Formats: sequence, C-alpha cells, structure tokens
Amino acid sequence: MLEAALKFPPIGELVKWPAFGLPGFNKVALICVLATVFTAGLFFWAGMSKTLVPNTVQNIVESVVEFITDGVILQTMGQEGMKYLWYLTSLFFFIFFCNIFEIIPFMQFPASARMAIPLLLAVITWVMYIVVGLKKHGISYVSKSVKPPGVPFALLFLIIPIELLSTFIVRPFSLAVRLFANMLAGHLLLVTFAVLTGALLGSSIVFLKPVAILPLAMDIAITGFEAFVAILQAFIFTILTAVYLGSSIHIEH
Amino acid sequence: MSYTSALLAAGSRAAAALYAQAATTTTEAPAQQAPNPILPSSTELLWGTVSFAVLAFLMWKFAFPLVIKAMQARTDKIRSNLDEAENVRQEAQGILEEYQRQLADARTESNRIIEEARQAADQLRQDMVRRADEEVAELRRRSIEDLKAAQDRVMGQLRLQVRDLAIELAEKVVGANLDRERNLALVDQMIAELEARPAGGG
Repeated sequence: MLEAALKFPPIGELVKWPAFGLPGFNKVALICVLATVFTAGLFFWAGMSKTLVPNTVQNIVESVVEFITDGVILQTMGQEGMKYLWYLTSLFFFIFFCNIFEIIPFMQFPASARMAIPLLLAVITWVMYIVVGLKKHGISYVSKSVKPPGVPFALLFLIIPIELLSTFIVRPFSLAVRLFANMLAGHLLLVTFAVLTGALLGSSIVFLKPVAILPLAMDIAITGFEAFVAILQAFIFTILTAVYLGSSIHIEH
Repeated sequence: MSYTSALLAAGSRAAAALYAQAATTTTEAPAQQAPNPILPSSTELLWGTVSFAVLAFLMWKFAFPLVIKAMQARTDKIRSNLDEAENVRQEAQGILEEYQRQLADARTESNRIIEEARQAADQLRQDMVRRADEEVAELRRRSIEDLKAAQDRVMGQLRLQVRDLAIELAEKVVGANLDRERNLALVDQMIAELEARPAGGG
C-alpha cells in the first residue's frame, strides 16, 4: 500500500527535457545560454561602470577575479599563468551558473548534471594543457611528464604506463565525471526528498501526512548545501584546470 | 593566439556537424525517449559548445579586459592618491617645522628685545638717580655758599655798626674826644679777638 504511493521515476526521466523552439534547444541548452549571458553580463556591467568606488556587482566580480589570481593562478602556475586568468575566470563563472540553476525555482536543474557540459569543459582543459606543454617543451613534454626523475630503471616499466594513463586519459575523464556526478547526485537527492514529501502528503494514511515535514526539511537543508556545492565544484574544476596547466608549464613534479 | 583561432575554426566545424545531426535526430524522432543519464547528449554538447565558445570569445575580447582595466585604473588612482597625500603630508610637515622654527626665532628675538629694554631702562634709572643726586648736592652746596655769603655780609655790616655804635657810646660815656683813629683801631682789634674765640663763646 505504501509501495503503491511511492513511485520513484527512473533516473532517465529526471534528466529528460524536451526541446522547444530551436532544434535540440532544451532546458540544458537554455541554462548554458543563460550562464553565458549572465557571466558576460556581469563582466560588461562591472567593466563599464565608471564609478571609482565599486558597486556590488563590481565587488563580486572583482573579488572573484582577485581570488582566482591569488588563490588559483599564483598558487599553481605562478606569474606565468596570468595569461589564463580570463579563461579560468570565465570557466569558473560558467560552471557556477550551470550549477546554481539546480536550486533556482522553475529551473531546478544543473546543466552540469548532463555529461555533455562537464565533458566539453574537460576536453577543452585537456587540449589546453597538452598544447601548452607541447608549445613550451616540444615533444619532450610527453616523455618528461610520463617519466618522473629519479625513478629506478626497472620501475619505469610500471611507472610509464601508469603516468601515461593518468596524465593523458584519466585526467580529463575524472575531471568531467567529478563535476557531473556531484551535480547529478545533488539533483537526485533534491528530487528524492521532494518525491518523498509529495508521496507522504498525498498518502491515504492520515497520520503519515505530518511526517512529510521531515523530507521537506531535508530538502530545504540540501538546497542550502547545494548552493555551497555549486560554488565548490566550480572552484574545484577551475583549480584543477590551473593545476594541470601548471604541470604542463613546470613539468618537474 | 593563432592556435586559438585554429581551435575556434575546428570547433565551429564540429559544431556545425553536431548541429546537422541534432536537427535530423529531432526531426526524425519527435517523440523523445528518456535519454541515457550518463552518456553525453549530442544536442546538449552542441548547445553547450556554442554557449561556452560565445562566452569565451566575449570574455577574451571585450568583457574581461574591461574589468581588468577598471581594476587597474582604480589601483593606479588609489596609488596616486596615496602618493599625493603623502606628498601633501610631507609638505605640511615642512611648513609646520618652518613655522615652529620661526616661532622659536621670534620668541628668542622678543626675549632679547625685552632684556635689552630692561637693561636700557635700568641704565636710564641709574643715570637719573645719579644726576638727581648730583643736582641735590649742587643745590645744597650753593645754598650753603649763599647762606655763608649772607652771613658774612651781615656780620660785616653788623661789625661796622657795632664798632660805630660802640665808639659813639664810648665817646658819650667818656665825654672826651679821644683820638678817633686810635679808638677805631682798638675796637677793630677787640672784635678780631672776639672772632678768634671759639663760636660757642659768641
């Protein structure tokens, strides 16, 4: 009787968004476009403001830029990495906006919970750090990055395949999956407790109705937590991109 | 940044291919099935790529330099203001020291002037007192002389009168006309003897 009340939809249904208007333009695409519009809008707004004393938007934008400068680039790449500041800042804001739609009413879905978005960004990071490494060190980039200095000859047979696999194959994959899985998991958690709340409220057993307060409270708590996760995952993706770029600039471990 | 543009070109070719595929899939299968929750969807990949490419372009070319320029301008402005304030402060410090030095000079000068004036006044006072003393002494000396002269004159006349009176008296008393010349000499001698005596006897 209770089983009949609690019908949890299959996960595929939770990420199924029909296209509207343009071909293939579904909710995920809309969120991506909005993330672009918001990020660019923030920067145009902040950049065009002519006041000497910064307004709120300027403060937010500039403190993020300063944080990425001091907390990400200078920590991982040093002064050499400053030319990637614009990219890392764009990346951070784009991922953040893609994530934060998870808890924005009526959207309530993170675009990064669809593998396409994290994969795209991870592939860009992957291409970037390989190109940077090749440009800086030539073909020796590959050999240097799979052969750490001071390893005994016998161990090289073990180390080289592992390093090759981890640097050039696992890295982009793990980068993409980390963001994707975190955001999808958050979305599933929110949906789970929302479904549970609805099921309890709609239950035919009267004394179960007040119990709905518990999953509802949980949903509210998780919403707050997901706001934190949205920032955290955007930061993690950004700093890992910086770390990978840094490891291509300074190969020595 | 030539590889960036090459990358952009390659990306746009890939996007066009994806777009074509997406257009056909959506037209062929309008009744959407539930997508695989893990595998990336090509249409979402396409839209994501387009969005992010546009964002990256806008940020790289326009928006980000604007913000950086504004931040740099503010940094410069604040730095120049601080420098200016420091200059003004140092200038003010210099002026203050100059004023304090002038004030100290003025105080020394005024003290010197007061001291000089006091010395001059002292000198003047002493001069005046000395001159007054001298005048008083002179006055006293002159009045004593006057007194003495008057006394001498009076004494002379008195002596003559007394002599005449005495002779006259003696002539009357004696009744005889004595030798006048001798009598006068006698009286003169007697008066001289009187004068020679100590003043207490007069």
